[in-house]
Amino acid sequence: MSGIDLPQGTLDLLILKTLNLERQHGWGISERIRQVSREVLQVRQGSLYPALHRLERRGWIRATWGVSDNNRRAKYYELTPAGRRQLEDASASWRQLSAAVQIILDTA
Amino acid sequence: MLVRDLLYRWRALFQRKAMEDDLDAELRFHLDRLAEQHVRAGRPPDEARRLSEVALGGVPEVKEQCRESWGVSWADALIRDFWHALVRMRRYPRSAAVVGSSLALGIGMSVAMFSMVDAVLLRPLPFPDQDSIYVIQKADPLAGTHVEELAYPELIDLQESIPGFEYVAVTPTSLYGYARVLETRTADPVQLEASPVSHDFFRVLGVTPRMGREFTDSDERVGAPPVVVISDRTWREHLGADPGIIGRTVRLSGQGHTVIGVMAPGEGFPRGAALWVPLGIDQRVIERRGATFLQAVARAKPGYSRQQIDSDVSALFRRLASEYPEAYSSSQLAIVTPLVNYWTGSARIHLWIVLGASLLLLTAAAISSGGLLLSRAVSRRSEIATHLALGAPPRRIFTQMAAEGAVAGGIAAIAGLGIAYLVIRSLVRWPPAEIPRLSEASLDLNSFCFAAGAAAFVAVVCSLAPGWGASGMRLESAIREGDPRSSVSLRASRARDLFVLAQSAVTFVLVATAVLLVLSYRSVAFVETGFANRDALTMDVTLRGPGLFPAQGFDASTRHAFYSRLLQRLREEPGVTSVGAILLRPLAGPIGWDISYEFEFEAGSWDGGARPKANYEVVTTDYFKTVGSPLLQGRDFDSRDSEEAEPVAIISETLADQVRSAGHTPLGHRVRLGIRWSAGWMRVVGVSGDARYRSGTHSGAHIFVPMLQAAQATRHVVIRGPRPRQELSTLVQRVVKEIDPRQNAGDPLTIGELIDRDTARHRFNVILLLWFGACAVILAVTAVYSVIAETMAARRTEVAIKSALGAPRSRVVRDLVVRTVRFAVLGLAAGTAAVTAFGTLRLDVFRGTSARDPIVLASVAAILFVVSLAAAIWPAWHATRDNRRILLREG
Repeated sequence: MSGIDLPQGTLDLLILKTLNLERQHGWGISERIRQVSREVLQVRQGSLYPALHRLERRGWIRATWGVSDNNRRAKYYELTPAGRRQLEDASASWRQLSAAVQIILDTA
Repeated sequence: MLVRDLLYRWRALFQRKAMEDDLDAELRFHLDRLAEQHVRAGRPPDEARRLSEVALGGVPEVKEQCRESWGVSWADALIRDFWHALVRMRRYPRSAAVVGSSLALGIGMSVAMFSMVDAVLLRPLPFPDQDSIYVIQKADPLAGTHVEELAYPELIDLQESIPGFEYVAVTPTSLYGYARVLETRTADPVQLEASPVSHDFFRVLGVTPRMGREFTDSDERVGAPPVVVISDRTWREHLGADPGIIGRTVRLSGQGHTVIGVMAPGEGFPRGAALWVPLGIDQRVIERRGATFLQAVARAKPGYSRQQIDSDVSALFRRLASEYPEAYSSSQLAIVTPLVNYWTGSARIHLWIVLGASLLLLTAAAISSGGLLLSRAVSRRSEIATHLALGAPPRRIFTQMAAEGAVAGGIAAIAGLGIAYLVIRSLVRWPPAEIPRLSEASLDLNSFCFAAGAAAFVAVVCSLAPGWGASGMRLESAIREGDPRSSVSLRASRARDLFVLAQSAVTFVLVATAVLLVLSYRSVAFVETGFANRDALTMDVTLRGPGLFPAQGFDASTRHAFYSRLLQRLREEPGVTSVGAILLRPLAGPIGWDISYEFEFEAGSWDGGARPKANYEVVTTDYFKTVGSPLLQGRDFDSRDSEEAEPVAIISETLADQVRSAGHTPLGHRVRLGIRWSAGWMRVVGVSGDARYRSGTHSGAHIFVPMLQAAQATRHVVIRGPRPRQELSTLVQRVVKEIDPRQNAGDPLTIGELIDRDTARHRFNVILLLWFGACAVILAVTAVYSVIAETMAARRTEVAIKSALGAPRSRVVRDLVVRTVRFAVLGLAAGTAAVTAFGTLRLDVFRGTSARDPIVLASVAAILFVVSLAAAIWPAWHATRDNRRILLREG
């Protein structure tokens, strides 16, 4: 399995972004990040759950138990309004950061 | 968001099971999906499961990280630490019991003492803006009096010449003799303490009646219809809490009074007053400057300082002395006391001392418990050192110790509150001394806060030192137990030395204070009071009729007839040995009749200067015999001393000495009394032994005149006999009723009780301090003992080798104890310094002794030294007995 480890703090952003589309369980989130990034980004599965719980404690996501596509009980996460605001803030600053890094890389 | 965060953490803390189950299910779901993938890729199910767990990164680790995300890992650690602390306590039940009980005792006592101080001293009086209320009295140092009273005209002087006062009022200096007999139709007449007050009295206090109105100047006129304000308690207990009481008439000492007001509960000032009547309704009171029986209370306007009041009132009194030289002594001084201080009086210093002592006891308990916990940490040193060597941060060791201290403090606080509750209940139930507002003491919010503070203090002391000592422990030293220098960490042993020092210092301070108080108490309580018959019963039999002054309604012959009949009837009763009467019974309070006197040999020599004063008493035949005051010379009064006969007096030994030193014989010499010498000369017919009439600490001069020749009525019966006091008091009550059914005999107290009451606060202090001191000594002994026992345990191999190599037992023991004993001695020195410094305060409670008395301090230090030495040598000596066996066992 090849791929890039996530830089510090980006996992939260990716989780929020993923949940912005639809409510999802932990497994789904990790699968989706892998697929959408064309297998470039490798989420350490062990670090996903602590991050989810931290986001839940902060009130950005909300957890409910639901039934998964294969008819099993799964814990689904969804974005709260606060989480949506946080996603906007975090994506904006991420774009700024990556653009700045881009400029430096291009000019240097 | 904060709320949600807190709710989340709350769930994590208190619904842990559900959280863990959720986490479990969530991870299980993930692992199953991963495993399915692997199975689909053709792996066997067992391997698929293993691979998926690897991919997740270890289930326990992930779970631990998730728990950290819950934001309660600190709480988890705390709970774990507390749990371990409890487990360790159960593992060492004996030391847990010692720590728990000594801390509980310390906390309990200090909480109880604090609640008492809080109720008596700290809680505000029920008067708004109490700090601007002052009590104004006078003193005349040249005349040897402590308190001089004011007369009604001085009220007007104060009101007119001191603009800084908002209101001024006057009231008698004591409740003595103003009681009224309340006649209700339903019950027997009761005697109630009454306080005559000038009409602004309640305005000075700043209180208004809960029902009705307060006095106005129209109530306080000569000839005004009699009115009364009653206390809440009187209203409830004697008037059936009648809501329509205002405007009703009650009969007080045979005269109808209209009730105009009912005060709120707790507003009994002067203390014990059950009702208030207007003062200025008597022409003689209003006009006479010589009628001094009052004190003033004044409310200062905002910003009028105590110093200013002091100097203004003093200036006024000086001016009055020069304007009315025949009425006032030129050496009279103003005494201005804030009402709060006046209210609590000498109880103040006594209470502060017991609170301070209880805090010292608490400190001693905390120190000895801290020492014990430290010893236990030392005995666990290999475990702790291993933890540290394996990379546990010293902080963790510290928090473990802190948890232990906190558990000890918490348990002790709960038990201590129980102890405090019992102590407070018994103090309120059986008040040790007359202390105002003591009955209001209770375990309230303040007490709980104080207990929490005490517990925190205990927890800190109990965890800081062991934690500090333990976190410095090193594995090497713990392993090399045989080496005496490294057997205990350097820090731990240093902490232990400091503990021994502090403990010994605190113990010294407590014991020395207790000893000083005992000495001072001894000089006060076992002083020759001059009354040999402690069993003589005294009772208040003031004749009460209408009018401001109780005896006003009776002329002299009626009074004399009443008392002569009463005494005659009592004398004839079986089981009565002797009976007499006196104006004011001994030790009834600091206020009495101070009156100027002049002997024949010194007549005229006082012109313009201050004249000495003596305590004036009116007595009957047999009074001296009944109370056991010896007549050193001459005779007692008898039937010869009638109204028509030559005026006579009996003087006390102090006065007789004055006469003798002037070269005259006291018997047959003449003396006269009063400011204008109106009473005329009286022939001295007897000399009585000196006695204490005002308080045990004040000796004084006394002049006695016979009842039949005095203008003042006798007010107290003294009676003695082989019958029990209860029977004697019932007897007096019965005979009084038979002679005049409207009269009443009350307040039975024996001479012994009067003496005890006078010293009760002091005794209360002494008893508590002795207890505290004894507890502190026990704690100190335990502490030294446990340090040595601990050292023994740590160094037993070394000790055994030394003995085996032939070292004498005494030297082995000396080596073991010398260090600890040295620090105990240093502590004693520190304690001595503290007490000596304290001694510069020269507190009145140490009267008759001195906090710098070298003999006292040296004796206390010597005793404590011997005790510490014994506590150190005993375990060492004991443990060096069986060295060979120890060595063999160890070997």
